[in-house]
Amino acid sequence: MTPSRLLVLSFLLFSIGFYGVLARRHLVGLLLSLELMFNAGNLAAVAAAWSYGRASGFLLALFGIAVTVAEVALGLALFLLADRVRRTTTPDDLSLLRR
Amino acid sequence: MSDLAFWAGAVLLVACALAVVTARSLYRAAYALSGALVLTAAFYAGLGSALLASVQVLLYTGGVLTLVVYALVVSRGANEGGPARRPFAAASTAALVFGALASFGRSVPAASPAPPPGGRELGLLLFQRYLVPFELLSVLLLAALVGALMVARLERAP
Amino acid sequence: MFTWACILLGGPLAAFAVLAAAAPLRRTGRPAALLSIAGMGTACVAAVGLAVTWSARPEPAVADVVWAATSRMPAIRFGLLVDGLAVCMALVVSLVALLVQVYSLGYLHDEPKPSLGRYYAWQSLFAFSMLGLVLASSVLQTYVFWELVGLCSFLLIGFWYRRKEAARAALKAFWTTRLGDVGFALGIVVLWGSARTLSWDGLFSAAAGGRLGGMALGLGVTGLFLGAMGKSAQFPLHIWLPDAMEGPTPVSALIHAATMVAAGVFLMVRSAPLLVRVPDLSAAVLAIGCLTAVLGASMALTERDVKRILAFSTVSQLGMMMAAVGAGAPLAAFFHLVTHAAFKALLFLAAGSLIHALGTNDIFAMGRLWRPMRVTAVYFLLGGLALAGVFPFAGFFSKDAVLAEVLHRGHPVAFAVLLATAALTAFYMTRAFVVVFLGTKKAEAHAHESGALLLAPMGVLALGAVVGGALLEGPIARALSGSLGLAPFSEGGEHGLIVPLLATAAALGGILVGWLGYGSRAFDPGRVAAAAGPLTRAITRRFYVDDVAVAAYRGWLALAAAVGWVDRYVVDGVVNGATVAGEAMAQRLRVLQNGKIQDALYAVGLGFLLLVLLALRGLRG
Repeated sequence: MTPSRLLVLSFLLFSIGFYGVLARRHLVGLLLSLELMFNAGNLAAVAAAWSYGRASGFLLALFGIAVTVAEVALGLALFLLADRVRRTTTPDDLSLLRR
Repeated sequence: MSDLAFWAGAVLLVACALAVVTARSLYRAAYALSGALVLTAAFYAGLGSALLASVQVLLYTGGVLTLVVYALVVSRGANEGGPARRPFAAASTAALVFGALASFGRSVPAASPAPPPGGRELGLLLFQRYLVPFELLSVLLLAALVGALMVARLERAP
Repeated sequence: MFTWACILLGGPLAAFAVLAAAAPLRRTGRPAALLSIAGMGTACVAAVGLAVTWSARPEPAVADVVWAATSRMPAIRFGLLVDGLAVCMALVVSLVALLVQVYSLGYLHDEPKPSLGRYYAWQSLFAFSMLGLVLASSVLQTYVFWELVGLCSFLLIGFWYRRKEAARAALKAFWTTRLGDVGFALGIVVLWGSARTLSWDGLFSAAAGGRLGGMALGLGVTGLFLGAMGKSAQFPLHIWLPDAMEGPTPVSALIHAATMVAAGVFLMVRSAPLLVRVPDLSAAVLAIGCLTAVLGASMALTERDVKRILAFSTVSQLGMMMAAVGAGAPLAAFFHLVTHAAFKALLFLAAGSLIHALGTNDIFAMGRLWRPMRVTAVYFLLGGLALAGVFPFAGFFSKDAVLAEVLHRGHPVAFAVLLATAALTAFYMTRAFVVVFLGTKKAEAHAHESGALLLAPMGVLALGAVVGGALLEGPIARALSGSLGLAPFSEGGEHGLIVPLLATAAALGGILVGWLGYGSRAFDPGRVAAAAGPLTRAITRRFYVDDVAVAAYRGWLALAAAVGWVDRYVVDGVVNGATVAGEAMAQRLRVLQNGKIQDALYAVGLGFLLLVLLALRGLRG
């Protein structure tokens, strides 16, 4: 395992997550894919920290986890709102613009 | 970490990721994500950072995914993830992004001889050099908490 | 002296202003008429006063003020020019206008009161405009009054505006003269550009001093002549004059015989100092004048309407005057203008007397009127003899002057044409007189002589028609010698007897043929006309000039319609097409803004790729 391999792995995960964000038809599916992207970001930070020998990268990953938790909480609250009020779980249906 | 472990973990990790983005049933997607998160934690552990690995498992897998599953249960349509939206466009865009990233950031130096930081080192950093961000983070978490409550409360307005 | 001039203009102007402003007064009819006549009478008196004071010092005098100041060119001035030419013309205009206004009171006595008031308002306006034209000190001022006179002509031809023919005739007159006026205006512009002045004396001194010459002078004077062609009914702009007979007969007498149509000749006489320096144009004026003279006379040959006969006769005589101008003899032209005013107005008023009594214009509906309408007949006879140029009537002297000048200045062909015209003139006047007053067929309607209001003015004009030629030749020559830019004239009579003899022979010959054809019936004119089939047809169709004009007008309308189509469908089409294209594009682009987050994220991805590209470039570079 080398830092560059780890980094490429994180890029791959990021891209896969991006695909999911673009292609998912369910809000939660979108959120899960987003989670994947965040996770990939953390992994990349750790890989870089390992490569340059700095501890701040690990801290960044730690912070990243914490922020992501907050974001998920709010995202799920909004999802539940959409589900109750707009009666939909599809991101497309949330557009207010005329067809 | 040995090469074999790395490659095995990597393959599993990618497989889980793919499952997250393609599974029809969202429950399956959630479980796949938890698998991916745990595997990532394993990588962290393999690097020698037990703190990071445990935080990852506890918060991500334990906390986030529980919430997600709960949300899925109380909402509708959790089983119909539906077909992908513009699959080709999405796939090609994602591929291009990967290409861009890969070409951009492949050349990093080899692992430095310094060992990854342990809990003590991280703790000292957190409370000395990065104290302000740490406090700000707690404010952020508080804000998120209150915000989520407000959003959830709104649904009960007459 | 200029006080007289101001009164001269002020009388008719005041009458017009009052009648125009005070509608209740105008609607009373006769009082309005009397006001106008009073104004006209004042003008007559003023004209005499002007003549008397001017002849004390017979030379040109100008009084003008700055009308429009410019920063880079000399200022444009408006004012009065009093010289022999202006004084003579003013006398003619004011006298004939007064006589006609008096005559109209009798002629139009059946007219409803408001209508009558309107008539006299226009009459006063016309008198003012014509006198203003005569006394104008600059060519621009002449043009202003020229247009005013044209307006009055339009208003008076179309006086009975509810008649479609009258309305059409008024418009035709207006547009045809307008066509000439375009040339007039352009001529003024050219002269202004080159000479930097518009006053008559300024132009003459510019021409003499060499500042105004060559192309500019030629074009300028040609422009003036184009205006004169329109106003004085020269071929091919003569088409409006016969139709203008739709107006009341007094109007025809005043405007379309004596004064307004003479304005073109007046303009050419006024600008003679300039014309004489453009030999090519002078030759053209001579040619057009001759052509107009002979064509006008020939078109009178087949006319049945007495007014139209006189109208074509006017066209013909105007042609003669223009020919004299073109030959370089402005004195002869002006002399003929004055005598023509007298006898043509007389003839028109006599015709009006006939029309008023019989209710028809057709000479073949009249006949054997010598006894019942003796006075009118005598006046008509006197006018006819004067027009035919029989010694010792007025027309003899003036026609002789024209013919003599044309011949002795080296234009034998023109002389021959004008001589032939004189013969034709005598013929058709004889025809008219014989058919109307003599003959065996009695008039259809019951005829009685007209009243004093109609006969008295005719009497004054008859006097002029009889003795005017002999008496006025000298004074007019002297007066014109004291005019701006004109060289002193000798008093005539030095060219020998050849011309008078030939002219008299032509006149008597025409009368003889006319008598033989219509009086004693020695030959049948109808058969002669039939024998000359195509020529007769051409004459009756007025040489197809009207048809050409109509075709040109229709063609122009068609062109306008085509241009309009292009504007509506091509030009607007492009603009509308741009709108439609824009809207279509907007509809297409709308899908990008559909409010769906995942579609927006594609843009985010694209942006990210671009950033990476830039960064890579930055790194490598």
